[in-house]
Amino acid sequence: MNTAESRQDAGKVLLVDDDQDMLKLLSAWLAAAGFTALTASSGSDALRQLAAARPDIVVTDLFMEEMDGMTLVTHVHAENPLTPVIMLSGSAQIPDAVRATHLGTSAFLTKPIAKEAFLDEVMKHIRPRSRAGDARFGTNLIYRSDVMSELLEQAELVAMGDVTVFINGETGTGKEVLARAIHDASRRRQHPFIGVNCGAIPEQLLESELFGHEKGAFTGANNRHDGLFLAADGGTLFLDEIGDMPLGLQVKLLRVLQDFEVRPVGAVKSVPVNVRIISATHNDLEALVEKGEFREDLYYRLNVVPLKMPRLAERAEDIPLLLEHFLALHAQRAGTPKKRFAPDAITYLSASEWPGNIRQLANAVELCATLYTGDIIPLAMAQRALRQRPAQMKTLKDAKADFERNYLVSVLRISGGNVANAARIAGRNRTEFYKLLNQYDLDAASYRDGGDEQ
Amino acid sequence: MSERITIAIDPDIAELVPGFLDNRRRDVDKLRALLAAGAFAEVRLIGHSMKGAGGGYGFDAITDIGARIERAALAADSAEIEAGIAALADYLARLDVVVGD
Repeated sequence: MNTAESRQDAGKVLLVDDDQDMLKLLSAWLAAAGFTALTASSGSDALRQLAAARPDIVVTDLFMEEMDGMTLVTHVHAENPLTPVIMLSGSAQIPDAVRATHLGTSAFLTKPIAKEAFLDEVMKHIRPRSRAGDARFGTNLIYRSDVMSELLEQAELVAMGDVTVFINGETGTGKEVLARAIHDASRRRQHPFIGVNCGAIPEQLLESELFGHEKGAFTGANNRHDGLFLAADGGTLFLDEIGDMPLGLQVKLLRVLQDFEVRPVGAVKSVPVNVRIISATHNDLEALVEKGEFREDLYYRLNVVPLKMPRLAERAEDIPLLLEHFLALHAQRAGTPKKRFAPDAITYLSASEWPGNIRQLANAVELCATLYTGDIIPLAMAQRALRQRPAQMKTLKDAKADFERNYLVSVLRISGGNVANAARIAGRNRTEFYKLLNQYDLDAASYRDGGDEQ
Repeated sequence: MSERITIAIDPDIAELVPGFLDNRRRDVDKLRALLAAGAFAEVRLIGHSMKGAGGGYGFDAITDIGARIERAALAADSAEIEAGIAALADYLARLDVVVGD
């Protein structure tokens, strides 16, 4: 196993089978090929490991007592729809293979299985290594939280696929930044990325803005105008606040998406376009569809791959990094040395609710860095910058609880689930620390890499 | 019929093979007891597992015997199961394993 250890970087595989001999065999093959193999002897055991281990691929037996492979696939995909699953079966039943494929498994293999064939399939389907800290994709996105790293992993996978992407998220969460990252990672990156806010422009203007118009098409149309679809030809068109698009225009947009051609206002002929659409909204589009304010057919056209941009408060771990980033930006712009926040100010800001999300945080940092003349911005200043929205603040008790839980998770992660070390970092004895873990329903074992290894 | 059978196994799994074969020896006793009790469903499960794992470990014969036992159990054919168990016991008794390609 030592040789395997040194090359162990090919990815993390979760093996699920109730036959121990099979688990051992597949683990040995994977380890020899440089993979990290985790094993589960039942579907429920696999589900327990899934969240903490975050495997790059799941390999499961179909026929297991208690929970079969088909049910497991559904659960795995509920956790993360992009986790590839390979199904193994003791018998080559075509209906099973068909059903497995419908459920979204990447491959269906029949036992007994040869080593080369098995490893080939794993290598073919395994998703690229999770890449927190890797700067290739989304260099403008600043994060270290799991929720963001999962989102970006999904975004990176869809970027190459050229599919229509739909981003949902509150105002100020950075939907356009994500859209641009997808464009930059796509084959269209050499072509334009054009963003338009559908809510900010009156209907008539938006129509000619999007589709263009002929000279004299309407009063004031003194020149021919190509429109954003044509301007983005070959590239990506980002339709922000799509939920605010008037119904009349929705029909026209749908037609473009169906026919891949636009007809400028006042023109008789349509022009072919090749544009990838990324749309975004802070609205609940499904609710708008139900109310009849958004066309259902358009909704399904746009919502091929939905991505959810988390609220800033859901990624509180990222706040210290974002504070640093905006302080550096301010220093650069103002031509002054970079300021810092005092530790208690960082703690306070990290536990705040941020209803305006990153945009609000950027403004608050700007305000603090501009108004405070010293080098280290104190808690009082941070509080003052946020006090403008007191109604949306959490109670101190809730904020403390949120912070405490996030803190414990971070400490567990840093200590790799070692309770003695985690307690030492936190400055508590083990008994007290266990009590805290219990209080927040945290399981130290699930932060240990590879479960029981070592 | 005591001709030896030599099988060369993959060095990557050399450490696992003795345990795998021990489990199959245990299967021989287990299968006999289950057959005596008429527990065909359990017999079938063991046959199914042997069929799935045997070839992967390098023992195609164990896969074949497993498939034979599974089929026989499905048909509740005691005589055929008995013959399958005998074939397994005989194979294990004559088997020599060497590590290499």
